[in-house]
Amino acid sequence: MSLPSYRDQSASVRERFERLKAREVLLEVKALGKNFGETVALKDINFRTHRREFLCIVGPSGCGKSTLVRILAGLEQQSAGQVLLEGAPVRGPGRDRGMVFQGYTLFPWLTVKKNVMFGLVSQAGRTEAEREALQWLQLIGLEKFADAYPHQLSGGMKQRVAIARALANQPRILLMDEPFGALDAQTRARMQAHLLEIWRKIDITIIFITHDLDEAIFLADRILVLKPHPGEVQELIEVPVPRPRGMSQILSDEFLATKARLEELIYSSPHDGAEEEDYPAMTRLTAVGDDVE
Amino acid sequence: MISRRTLTFLSFLLPLLAWCAVSYVPALWHPQMLIEDPGSVDYFQTGMRVALATFDDELAQAKAESRAEPTGWPANPIYLPAPDEVVRAFYSAFTTKPETRDGVWLHQSLWHSIQVIFWGFTISSIFGVPLGILCGTSRLVAGLSEPFIEFFRYLPAPAFGALAVAILGIYDGPKIAIIVIGTFFQQVLIIANTTRKLDFALVEAAQTLGTRGFRLLTRVVIPGILPDLYRDQRILLGWAWTYLIVAELIGTTTGITWFITQQARYQHFPNVFAAIFIIGIIGVGTDQVLAMLGRRLFPWDRVTERTA
Repeated sequence: MSLPSYRDQSASVRERFERLKAREVLLEVKALGKNFGETVALKDINFRTHRREFLCIVGPSGCGKSTLVRILAGLEQQSAGQVLLEGAPVRGPGRDRGMVFQGYTLFPWLTVKKNVMFGLVSQAGRTEAEREALQWLQLIGLEKFADAYPHQLSGGMKQRVAIARALANQPRILLMDEPFGALDAQTRARMQAHLLEIWRKIDITIIFITHDLDEAIFLADRILVLKPHPGEVQELIEVPVPRPRGMSQILSDEFLATKARLEELIYSSPHDGAEEEDYPAMTRLTAVGDDVE
Repeated sequence: MISRRTLTFLSFLLPLLAWCAVSYVPALWHPQMLIEDPGSVDYFQTGMRVALATFDDELAQAKAESRAEPTGWPANPIYLPAPDEVVRAFYSAFTTKPETRDGVWLHQSLWHSIQVIFWGFTISSIFGVPLGILCGTSRLVAGLSEPFIEFFRYLPAPAFGALAVAILGIYDGPKIAIIVIGTFFQQVLIIANTTRKLDFALVEAAQTLGTRGFRLLTRVVIPGILPDLYRDQRILLGWAWTYLIVAELIGTTTGITWFITQQARYQHFPNVFAAIFIIGIIGVGTDQVLAMLGRRLFPWDRVTERTA
């Protein structure tokens, strides 16, 4: 079976990308570099995201994708280059960039509602903040849990609240660092669909880090592939899978072609070979003659 | 599987049984005789305790010389009263009149001790808790204060007794000072450590939500460490109690220590035991009440939930 090229786009997909690129540039990363002492973690990263774009960043472990998103969030300082949000350089963390972390970072001493209100109370009044928080909880379908504490929620629910908490601040961009990494496969699939639903409904641009290629293809408009040592942009892929996305598309030609290309980029990259761990030869521990293969 | 409650009960019952055995089974220890009737032995008196060997010698001699024989029961030394005597002392210690005219009753002594502890611990906490939190959050504050505190905490608090008396007089001042010195330095280091253990991702999350500067401290760090801080304070309060007896010996002896030394002087050993046990009961009692209060205050804290 031969797959079409991942560069082949159907007319509707091409038209969608044209519309996307016509929108204003929201975030621009220019010649970004990051060193940790002698180690070069990121080198000469350049890309742009347009308003309401869903951009995924993938790459093998150690390629610096988490460092990149932490710099975008302002939690870490770059060694070189610039991050521009709507033309203005980013300095330090701020309300205009929301973030959802891989670990659960809900404040355990606050109820779900008060977690969502956390960024709001300093801006709006208390009653206004409460009203808005309840609206966000409705959007993610957890209004029934408004008065529950985080430890009473499942992992998936916690991340939904974390998304609502970040969005309640009405940031320009939502940064997500492997937010579904700790969830089981089924919850993860539901969360992906849920996230796309939220993204469709509100004016938000998303940068989403993952190492799960299926997740990246399912969610993204474009996928930024990084290669490690040092972290550099290898390719920016326009995902040819049409929207709205559904689980059935996972076996479509466009999906498989994109995945094949991503695997080619990530797993066969020569840079990765050096990082391969040595696995020791196994000692045989069973009797001769009971082979399983 | 034995329940925790049963184990707690047993952990108190076992030493109590050992004590009962030593007190009520003559064969186990009882190195002395409590004289009932001195007989013909001129230096024996009713109620006197003599060594078993002495008694046996005198008895043999009286028998040999056909004099009136002394009688008595095997007994433990006076410093080890039987459990029932101590139990009775729990009541009688409160009703025993002070031996001296200016003496105070047991409940007054206890109240005095509790006040000394309270002020010592409060003064220590007013300075120790904020400094500990600052040490845990600021590299500068930690670098400036922790090395000196590390050194100072090895200086035994009672060593400052004479100095404290010279500066603060002989009444409660030096006693409170000793408890402050004994508690404060440990407090700063322990709370600094607790603060450092806060998940830093929570601080980062708050930063991305637009919180910065001092508000990070009040909205994230302090609420985040509060249950652990509360647990630390409970442990430190226990330590403060251990400094109490030494502190109360400094200057004029007061409080429960005064009661204990006074009762020991008049050989009311059941009262001495009762007073010591009362300290333990107050200590454990306060801790249990505080633990219960903690579960109320921090319903979201998973550690307290587990121990609930």
